[in-house]
Amino acid sequence: MVNATKGLFISCDIPMAQFIINLNSSLPASQKFIIHVMDSTHLFVQPHVSEMIRSAIADFRDQNSYEKPN
Amino acid sequence: MDMVASLPAMKLDRLYANPFICQAILRSLPPLAKKYVLEMLYIDGPVSAKMLEEWVLADGSSKHRIALDRLIQLRIFTETVDRKKETSYRLNPTFQINLRKHLIDREVLPREPMPSNIVARLPSLEELEAYALGQWECFLLQLINSTQAEKLTNFSSSMMKVFQRGLLSQREKEASRLTESGFQFLLMDTNAQLWYIIREYISNSEERDIDPADLISFLLELSFHITGEAYNMNTLTEIQRHMIKDLADLGLIKLQQGRKESWFIPTKLATNLSVSLTDSSSRKQGFVVVETNFRLYAYSSSKLHCEILRLFSRIEYQLPNLFVGAITKESLYNAFENGITAEQIISFLQQNAHPRVAERIPSVPENVADQIRLWESDLNRVEMTPAHLYDEFPSRDVFEAACDFAREWCGLLWEDSKKMRMVLIYQDLPEDPTGRFHDFKQFVESNFDVFKWIGLLIILAQGSCILLAMVLRALGQNHGSNYDSDDEYPPARLPLINHNLQPPSFVVGDPHFPPKNDAWNVRIHSQP
Repeated sequence: MVNATKGLFISCDIPMAQFIINLNSSLPASQKFIIHVMDSTHLFVQPHVSEMIRSAIADFRDQNSYEKPN
Repeated sequence: MDMVASLPAMKLDRLYANPFICQAILRSLPPLAKKYVLEMLYIDGPVSAKMLEEWVLADGSSKHRIALDRLIQLRIFTETVDRKKETSYRLNPTFQINLRKHLIDREVLPREPMPSNIVARLPSLEELEAYALGQWECFLLQLINSTQAEKLTNFSSSMMKVFQRGLLSQREKEASRLTESGFQFLLMDTNAQLWYIIREYISNSEERDIDPADLISFLLELSFHITGEAYNMNTLTEIQRHMIKDLADLGLIKLQQGRKESWFIPTKLATNLSVSLTDSSSRKQGFVVVETNFRLYAYSSSKLHCEILRLFSRIEYQLPNLFVGAITKESLYNAFENGITAEQIISFLQQNAHPRVAERIPSVPENVADQIRLWESDLNRVEMTPAHLYDEFPSRDVFEAACDFAREWCGLLWEDSKKMRMVLIYQDLPEDPTGRFHDFKQFVESNFDVFKWIGLLIILAQGSCILLAMVLRALGQNHGSNYDSDDEYPPARLPLINHNLQPPSFVVGDPHFPPKNDAWNVRIHSQP
């Protein structure tokens, strides 16, 4: 019988996909959220982690920015 | 113009009684609609829809439809369907009469400019324009930061709240912040901003017991006055006098007081009102130079421009007539968080380009524009869609069928034929979205329900038939008792089934027949 799993389908570019996979492996086993890695640009994850992924990406982006002090 | 279209029919007819409004609305129509109106202007009877369609070439049919819809919406065309189910169109009679009058007579405004010996010190056109812009900017500044700006305009705070309704989010403790539409409003063209404010003003007018039709008619009439000429205040009605004060605060009109009389002078903003209906923006003087090193130089002394530029650039220096800023990633991120899009920023910079760079194509350097767009897309690197993953299909055919079904329904996000897995959008499809297999199951299941009810009905019907048959059989054996009652009237309950064939009554019947129980024969027998 066909199995249906509910989750979040993520499509992004390759560096971001690697970033998310890395984030996943850094978490303890109970909190791992990737259900399946489809290919290098698509992932299937659990539904509740969207905010966490977005904030992790925002942090990563802010680490690259430099604000000139006024 | 949607505001005009949303007025009820009676008010529209009143509006059309004014020839200037007819002309203003004519100007605002799409070109094909204008042509139709002009051609139908002197035709008194209805014109069939087929004839109208013949005027257009085959590839213009969508424009034709748009023009017709617009005309019907504004009730300029009335559509009638006659008995042969053919539609025909007629021009609104009030509109028609007034436009014809307008064409024939000269344009005569209800008021004449005052002679110059009474009017002293008329401001020159430049002064007038500076005044108008100044008033408008004051108003905008007060709109944006009501706490900081001094009370320069005379609008009551409730009026300002009305204008701020869509633009600012009011929170009790914090200072009010601009909403996303507020930011977009700031970056809009002056004419668009003006129309937005006027629209809010008009829709608020009903609460203050002023008829919006009067407001609209006065505004449109105003747009036909000559800029810079003075008009006497005593030619205005009471309602219009109220409006004049507000319009002066907005910068549309300048009020001046003479020794005995007072007059008003319409500014360019007012006369551009009807022109801007057709969305043709008048180029005003630009002031921004954007360089390829991401620096911004704005030759302007207006506070409003400074505020707007601060939205998306980092200010470096501010001199009395010069604002120097830099477009940086951080400042743009700030802007994007506030809901401004890259396209809005780029179009603002292009529309306000300084005349020195305005002829250069493109007026904003390509690397700056591209970088702004890249930084915007950097914020959206990951796309997340709630979805379902389906795997372990029993066979390849089922998988293919399911994939095709999902593709038809545009719900397929991703499929992997090697591992036989697919991903579909969550809750995009009506019921269980996996394709023919489940669809078939659903079909069977739903049919099963139907069949269940049908089956029950059949069983019930059969049961009731059997019961009825038994009842009738029982009745059939009881009919003798009815015969014995020997009433004048036929017995109340007659058996349905007549066991015996009835001979016609005029034939002398065979007495061996068992007693007849039919109504007529009872009566015949009972008569002596």
